[in-house]
Amino acid sequence: MNAFKSLCALLIFHMFFTSCAFDLLHVKQLPTHLDTTQQRKNSLMLEEDEKIDLGTGYSRVIKAGTKWDYVGTIENGDVFNTKDQVLTVEASNIHEAYIVISSGKLVGFYLPVEKTFSPLSVSKELKFKEVSINQ
Amino acid sequence: MKTLFKLFFLFAAVIIFSSCATSGPKYVELYSSIPVVPDTGRIFLYRESSLGAAIQPDVKINGEVVGSSIPYGFFYVNRSPGAYEIMTSTEVDRKLSLTLDKGQTRFVRLNISMGFFAGHVYPELVDQAIGEKEIQECRYTGK
Repeated sequence: MNAFKSLCALLIFHMFFTSCAFDLLHVKQLPTHLDTTQQRKNSLMLEEDEKIDLGTGYSRVIKAGTKWDYVGTIENGDVFNTKDQVLTVEASNIHEAYIVISSGKLVGFYLPVEKTFSPLSVSKELKFKEVSINQ
Repeated sequence: MKTLFKLFFLFAAVIIFSSCATSGPKYVELYSSIPVVPDTGRIFLYRESSLGAAIQPDVKINGEVVGSSIPYGFFYVNRSPGAYEIMTSTEVDRKLSLTLDKGQTRFVRLNISMGFFAGHVYPELVDQAIGEKEIQECRYTGK
């Protein structure tokens, strides 16, 4: 009987804490302004798969061979989007995302629906080559 | 104990029959006859698993109910280009935000995850190639 009680307690404990996590995780978002009036910049072609830790318990892979087109600039860096893969950031909810590059590093994501910047806790160097906008 | 077994079998029957209730045409049968609506994009929403079959919450787009999350079912909406929020509600609300361009087709998979008293259905944006593959055998549940 004690074993049964312990099992029940363990189950309730597990359910309580896993359920608490359901709505506690949020993607960090900072207000920003996307400036689309800047001169167009070259697109970027990713050379290797890059696994990105979102810091929310989830990760994403940006795939090798994907071409990222310049969308605009925010104060944190240049914003690029791709048609070659879906990119989202995830915590309790999921948000479509564009990448934000500064000095060759991925510094976070621009969320086009929310119009906010979601920073990475640690920026990540990406291996990519520039592609002329005419290509 | 007998009552417990009866309840269990009743529960199992509800799950089995509710998951079999999807009876519309398959995506592969319907896809070619879906008309193109000018100046819009299209969002396909589908659920490719019977896990948690008894849980079939409404699916809302920007607050409007557009369908239900039915196992092995799919439906679609045509919308003007813009920003959209897709939401399902069970014990909690689960949201997906996405953009839609003119002529663009997007695929949203309705997944199930563990909850406190019941499972949670949550929408996930997937690559078109994955969506097109997974939706093939799903049956139309739209109106």
